[in-house]
This record gives sequence, structure tokens and C-alpha cells, in this order.
Amino acid sequence: MSAGFKVKALEWAPYIEPVEVANATGEQLAAMQVTPSNTKVSPYVRTLAHDPESYVARTKLFNAIMYANGGLDRADRELGALTASAVNRCVYCASVHARRYIELSDRSDVVEEIYMHGLGGSFEPKIQAIVDFCRTLSETPSRVTKEQVEALRGHGFSKSEIIDLIHSAAIFGWANRLMHVLGHSVPIEAK
Amino acid sequence: MDQIDILSGLEPASETYRARRERPEFVSGAELCRKTVLTPQNGFEISHAMRAALAARMARFIGREDLARTYDLMLDEAGINELLTTIAAAGDLPEDLDAFTVALVRQADLVTKTPRDSSRADIERLQAAGLSSPQIIALSELIAFVNFEARVIVGLSILELVA
Repeated sequence: MSAGFKVKALEWAPYIEPVEVANATGEQLAAMQVTPSNTKVSPYVRTLAHDPESYVARTKLFNAIMYANGGLDRADRELGALTASAVNRCVYCASVHARRYIELSDRSDVVEEIYMHGLGGSFEPKIQAIVDFCRTLSETPSRVTKEQVEALRGHGFSKSEIIDLIHSAAIFGWANRLMHVLGHSVPIEAK
Repeated sequence: MDQIDILSGLEPASETYRARRERPEFVSGAELCRKTVLTPQNGFEISHAMRAALAARMARFIGREDLARTYDLMLDEAGINELLTTIAAAGDLPEDLDAFTVALVRQADLVTKTPRDSSRADIERLQAAGLSSPQIIALSELIAFVNFEARVIVGLSILELVA
């Protein structure tokens, strides 16, 4: 199955000048977790390190939502992230999380459907329930319906798992509003 | 109970409330993030009052009047004036408003409503209006946080209504 559709890895380039490690304040260095043995920091981290206070708090929350043990299957969290990123047209986030979703689920067919036909494509019922809920929550929160949440319950998701799904889509409502607003995706340069 | 419980209508005896407590890092993490964007120690000269006014405005555009009112209260405490009231109320801005404030409000409106249309030109407009790089990042984190929080509240509210 994994011989199927592939999503290209991309890099991200900011529209504003990132913090230079050499000129960073102590607070910025701590936020970027720069140590003598770790001085290579991505443009993304250096861009957000302009405001180290919010960067540190959000990173901790982001990691809990996407990587905490137990609860919703990690692949389904990635599908929530991918759905939000597709709604918000964050090409960079979509590429990262489409790839992670395929790694975790071996479902390149689902990603192919999203890339070829968009979120209005057709999916098997359980996947459809995740996509529909996360799509509406990302696009127009006021239009999320009880039926959408009941559909998730009907496919066996517990309330705890649905809380994880809500957070994974919502945190990409956040992440997309940084990555797609502050910069753009670029092809990876040949090294 | 915290702000997210109250605005989501969660009852402490409910399954949704208990399930939310299984993820204490989500609960405390969201509150810590709120502090860092609404009442940061270093606000880069975007005042707590302006942040609360922008948050109220964005919550109104998202359709959560209840969330907007919590930011109205925060604005009352931080020090209100006619302009901030207009911003918070999602009203039209006065024509003689300074370019810096116009840029803050415009960006909050656009990134809340149509994030997909964001481009380099929007960031250049912020720079032309005098925003520094730290101010652009701080504004972006504030906008993104309110959009996150509103979606968590919407999701939890509906989950509470479902068996």
C-alpha cells in the first residue's frame, strides 16, 4: 500500500528576518534551546524566537497535543492537522503532516484523495467523519453540528479521543496562522 | 473550572469535564499561552488593553459572543477608551486612525477570516506601518491563539451535548 502517492518534503522560508543566533538575547537562546553543541536552529524557530515568551508556551502545548501518550491514535491527530492545513491552504504544514500521517497509518490513498480532490473528496465513513468535523471546525466553527460529533461517537471514538481530535485541529488553526502568514514553502535545495 | 470549561458549558460532573482533566497539560497549557499573548511580561509595546480589544473583536468575528465578553472584561480592567471599545465591538475604524493601529486591526481581521489568502504583501504592509519583527510575531501569536481557543470551546461545547 505504501508504494502509493507521495508528498514532496518542503522547506519553509520566512518573510521577516529571523533572529540570528549570534545576536540573540539570553531569553531567545533559552527559547531556541541553543547550547554550545547545538547551534543549528531552523528558520522557523528563529523567526518565532522574536517573541520567546509565547514561543516557549506554545511549543509545550503543541507537543502535548500532537505527541502525548494514550488517547487518540497519533495517525488520527495527524489527519486532524492535515485537514486544518488543507482548509487554511498552509502548503508547508500540509506537506509535513501528510507525510507523518502516511508514515503512521500507511494510508497514502487518503492523502492522495485530499491532494487530488480536496476535502470534499470521498472517504470511507470513519475517515469521512474525522475530515468533516475537522474541516468545519477549521473553516467555520459556528457551523459544527451535533451530528458531526455523533458520527465520531458512532465510529467508536471516546470523548477523550474526540477531545484530542479537537485539539489537534485547533492547534493547526494556530500553527497555520503562523506558518502560512509569516512565510511560505520552498523546494528543498539540492545539497 | 477555568474559562474554557465555563464557555464550553461543561458541568464538573460531566464526562467531557472529566475527560478534559485526563489531559492536564492541555488545560494548563492553554491558560499559560493565554497569559503570554494577552498579558505578556514583554509586550513589545502592544498594550494589554489593545491585545484584549483585538481578542474581543476576533472572537466576535468567529461568532463567540460569550468569549468576546470575557475579553471585554479584560479590556475594562486594562483601561478602556473610545477607540478600544470600537475595536472590541468589531466596529468600523475612525478614518483618522494612525497607520500602526489600522495595521494591527486589519491583520487580525484578515488572518481570522481568510488565513488562506495571507501573503508576503500583508507582512510588508505591517512593516510599512512601523511594526517591528517582534511586534509582528507577537501579533501573529495573539491572532492565532484566539482562533485556537475559540475552536477548542466550540468543539467541547458540542461534545458536552452529545451522549
